[in-house]
Amino acid sequence: MFPKLDPILHSELRLAVMSILAGVEDADFTYIKKQTGATSGNLSVQIDKLSAAGYITVEKGFKGKMPRTTCRMTPAGREAFSTYVTALQEYLSAGK
Amino acid sequence: MTARESLALITETMNNNRKDIIFRSGKHFILWGVLLTLFSLAVFILWRATGHAQWNFLWFVMPAVGFPLAHLLDRKKDADLPENVFSRILSSIWLSFCIFSVSVAVFTVLYVSVNPNPIGTIAVGASLTAQIVLLFGMALTISGFVVKNWPVIVAGFVTGIGGLAIYYIVDLGAAQMLIFTFAGVVLALTGVIIKNLRR
Repeated sequence: MFPKLDPILHSELRLAVMSILAGVEDADFTYIKKQTGATSGNLSVQIDKLSAAGYITVEKGFKGKMPRTTCRMTPAGREAFSTYVTALQEYLSAGK
Repeated sequence: MTARESLALITETMNNNRKDIIFRSGKHFILWGVLLTLFSLAVFILWRATGHAQWNFLWFVMPAVGFPLAHLLDRKKDADLPENVFSRILSSIWLSFCIFSVSVAVFTVLYVSVNPNPIGTIAVGASLTAQIVLLFGMALTISGFVVKNWPVIVAGFVTGIGGLAIYYIVDLGAAQMLIFTFAGVVLALTGVIIKNLRR
């Protein structure tokens, strides 16, 4: 029996966001946008979904006079990401 | 998305992210390498031309020039680049090197200025190059281990231990500054290697 893949993570853009956040302490919205190539609107929606699931925290503030949105992965998000990757590896090893 | 596509996406995103962040560290290595080369050559030329070792005070200008330039370098293009564990370790290593080197230099200057024994003070003042080149070599070697690059690791050992050996074997005078010129070139080349890790 295969473990069920987390539907929150099983989306291209949300997975890319989580992959970026997995390797850093936190990341700026503009940086994530640049790395993923997503539009601001789409990225905002996906970030809200990850935030609502408790996988990331979103902090709004200022850097100098410029508004800044910073995303950070939560321990629950890290756990979910790790479980998701393990599940993927099980799928692939079963397929061999 | 299939499982294979998902894993490929994760791997590619994480790799691109890591390379982009390390790329910024490469620019800093080049900046400080160029500054080290220029300052060491300036001190060497002035010291040799005038015979005054006091030109070594010029070294204190280097951090004053370098830190604002490094800040400008970050503001220009990579302002939104996040920190990862590699970039944080590299920054910590070189900030520690900077603090230790400046501290050793300041203590040496203070010791030399208050100590009445001229032979002892000359020995302490002269060993400053040896101490700093050893610290430099250690910082570069650890950086090489962090970015997992053998040429950088070897360059660290060669600069640190080789520089120390040259210093003790040969009576160099003003020419001891050329050890730092070599270290500066090595540092800039390390930056080029780190930047190329992006590809």
